[in-house]
Amino acid sequence: MGKYFVKRVLLLIPTILLVCIIVFALMRMIPMDAVATLQQKLSANGNYVDEEYVKSLLGLDRPAVEQFFVWIGNVFKGDLGSSYFDHVTVNSILAKKLPATLELGILSLIITNLISIPLGLFCAARQDSISDYTIRVISTILIALPVFWVATLVLIYPNLWWGWAPKVTYVPIWEHPLENLAMFLPPAILSAIGQAGIQMRTIRTMTLEVMRQDYIRTAWAKGVPERRVLFKYAFRNSMIPIITMIGGSVAMMIGGNVVMENIFNIPGLGQAMVAALNTRDYPIVQGCVLVLSLFVMCINLLVDLAYKWIDPRVSLE
Amino acid sequence: MKNQKKGVHPNPGAKPKQDSFLKQLAKKKPLGLVGLIILLAFLFIAIFADLIAPYPMTDGVMQTSILSKLQGPSPAHLLGTDNLGRDVLSYLIYGARTSAILGICCTLLSVAISVIIGTLSAVIGGWFDLVVQRIVDAFQCIPSMLILLILMSMLGNGVPQLVFAMSVPGGITGSRMMRSAAISVKDSGYVKNAALLGGGTMWKTFKHVIPNILPLIITNAASSLGGVILMEASLNFLGYGVDPGTPSWGYMITNQGKANMFVMPMLAVYPGICIGLMVFGATMFGDAVRDLLDPRLKGGVGTYNANKLKKIAQKMSIKYHYTEPENKAQAKVG
Repeated sequence: MGKYFVKRVLLLIPTILLVCIIVFALMRMIPMDAVATLQQKLSANGNYVDEEYVKSLLGLDRPAVEQFFVWIGNVFKGDLGSSYFDHVTVNSILAKKLPATLELGILSLIITNLISIPLGLFCAARQDSISDYTIRVISTILIALPVFWVATLVLIYPNLWWGWAPKVTYVPIWEHPLENLAMFLPPAILSAIGQAGIQMRTIRTMTLEVMRQDYIRTAWAKGVPERRVLFKYAFRNSMIPIITMIGGSVAMMIGGNVVMENIFNIPGLGQAMVAALNTRDYPIVQGCVLVLSLFVMCINLLVDLAYKWIDPRVSLE
Repeated sequence: MKNQKKGVHPNPGAKPKQDSFLKQLAKKKPLGLVGLIILLAFLFIAIFADLIAPYPMTDGVMQTSILSKLQGPSPAHLLGTDNLGRDVLSYLIYGARTSAILGICCTLLSVAISVIIGTLSAVIGGWFDLVVQRIVDAFQCIPSMLILLILMSMLGNGVPQLVFAMSVPGGITGSRMMRSAAISVKDSGYVKNAALLGGGTMWKTFKHVIPNILPLIITNAASSLGGVILMEASLNFLGYGVDPGTPSWGYMITNQGKANMFVMPMLAVYPGICIGLMVFGATMFGDAVRDLLDPRLKGGVGTYNANKLKKIAQKMSIKYHYTEPENKAQAKVG
C-alpha cells in the first residue's frame, strides 16, 4: 500500500509537467497576445501603448521556451506569478476565489449523491417496473435539459410571477452562513440534478450487472431476504464503478461549473479564468488550470485508493 | 424448447434466436425506439430544412426584416419573429441542421481519435504506450470545460472550430477506455496467430482488434451524442460557439432569448425545448444500444427481485417466504 502510494505520487510529476506544457503552449497559440489585446482596448479611446516596451516589462519578448522555464521554476517554488494588468498575485486570486468554487462543488456533490444512490438502487431492485420506467424517464429529461437554460428560467420566472429571485450577492460562509447557503443552494441543486440523473443510471446499470451474477442467484435460492441481497451482496460489489463515477463527478463539478458561476454571479475560479482568458492574462489562466487539474489528480488518486478499501480482492500493484 | 416459451425453466443449452437489431430494440427497449424515432425526425428536419422551413435561407442567410421584429405568433409566422425579424420556426428548423452536423461530426471524429490512439497504444505497447498514456493522463486531469474555452478562444467561433475543439480533447480522454478494451483483446489467440503469420501492427489493429471491440465503440458513439449537443449550447452561452449568422439553438437561447427575456420569453423557451428533446432522444437511444450490446448485461434469466420470485412461486404453487429468519445464527449462514 505504502509502496503503491509512493509510486502513484511519483507518477503525478510527469503528468503535472505535461499539464503545464499543454496549457502553456495552448495559451501561446491563441491569436492576439496580452499586449495586442491591451492595445486594442486602449486604441478605442485613442490611446496607445509602446508594445515593445510593455513586452519587455512583462518578459514576453523572450523566447517561449525561456518563458516556460522561468514560469515552471517559479511554480515549483510555489509562486504562480502575478497578473499582467493588476497588481495581484495569482496565489492571492486563488486564495480568494477557490473557496467559492469548492463550496459549490461540494454542495452539489452531496446533493447529487443523496438523490442518485437511493434512486439507482431502487430502480435496479425493481427493474422494468412502472416506477423504474418513470424514474428513468424523469432522470433522462433532467439530463437532457440544458442546465444554463433551466437556471436562466429560474432566475426570470419566479421573479415575474412571485417577485422572488435567488440571491446573487456573495457573502463568505464564515460571515453569514445562512445567507451564503441561500445563495449557493439554487446553483448547487441545479447542477446536481443533471449529474444525479447520469449517476443514477450508472448505479442502476452497475447494480444490475452484479445482480446477474451467480452468487446473487445462490443467495436468492437460499432464501436470503431482498434487502440483504441488495445491500449486503449486490451494492457492495457494484461500488467500484460507482466510486469511479463519483470521482468523475467531483472532477466535473470543480472544473466545469463556469456556467453556473457565470449565471449566479459566484466569484469562483471559473469566472476568474474566463475573464483572464478574454484579456489574455496568461499567468492567471495557467495558474487556475494547474490548480484545478491538481485537484482532479488528487481525487483520481483517492478513488484508486478507495478501491482497495471497498474490495479487498483488488490488488493495487 | 417448449419450456423456454413458458419462461419458467429455460433450456440452458439452447441459444435463443437472434432478432435483428431494430426488432430487438422494439421488443426489449421501447424507450430506445422512441429515442431513435426522435433522432430520425430531427435528422429528417435537418436534411430537408430548405423544403420544410416556411422562410428558407437564401445564400445561407436567414431573411430578416426589422419592421416585423419581435412579433407574436400569427398565421404568417407560426411561432412569431425574433429581434431581427427572422421567422422563429424557420430558425429552429435550421438550428436542427447545425445541431445534427455538430452531433454527427463530433461523435465520429472523437470516436475515431479515441479508437486510433487507444488501440495503437495497446497493440504497440512498450515506450510508445507509456508516453501516450502520460499525455492522456494530462488531458484527463485538465477540467474539460477549461480546455474547451482555451481551444475556442484559440480557434475562434464557427462550426468547424467547434467540431475540432469538442472532439479532440474528448477523443484523447476517451482513448483510455478503448485501450483497456483493446488490451483484453490483443492477447487472444487470433491476434497472436495473426502476428505469427507475419501481420504487422496496422494489420493486427485494424483487422483483428478494432472489429472485436466494435460493440464498445458503437455504444460509446451512441452515448456521447447528447453530451455534444449540450456542450455546444453551454459554449454558446459563454460566448464561444457558432458565428452569429449560423442558426443555432444554444446561440438563440443566449442572444435572442435572454436579451428579450421580458419582452418575448418564448424566444428562450423554444430552443431549450428543442435541445431537451434532441438530447432526450439521444440519451434514450444510447442507453438502449448499450443495454443491447453490452455482453455483461445479457442474460435476463439470472435476475430476480422479490416481486418476480413471488410470481414464480405462485406459478409453481409454492408458498414463498419473504421474512427475515428469526434465528440470527441461521441468518449468518445465509
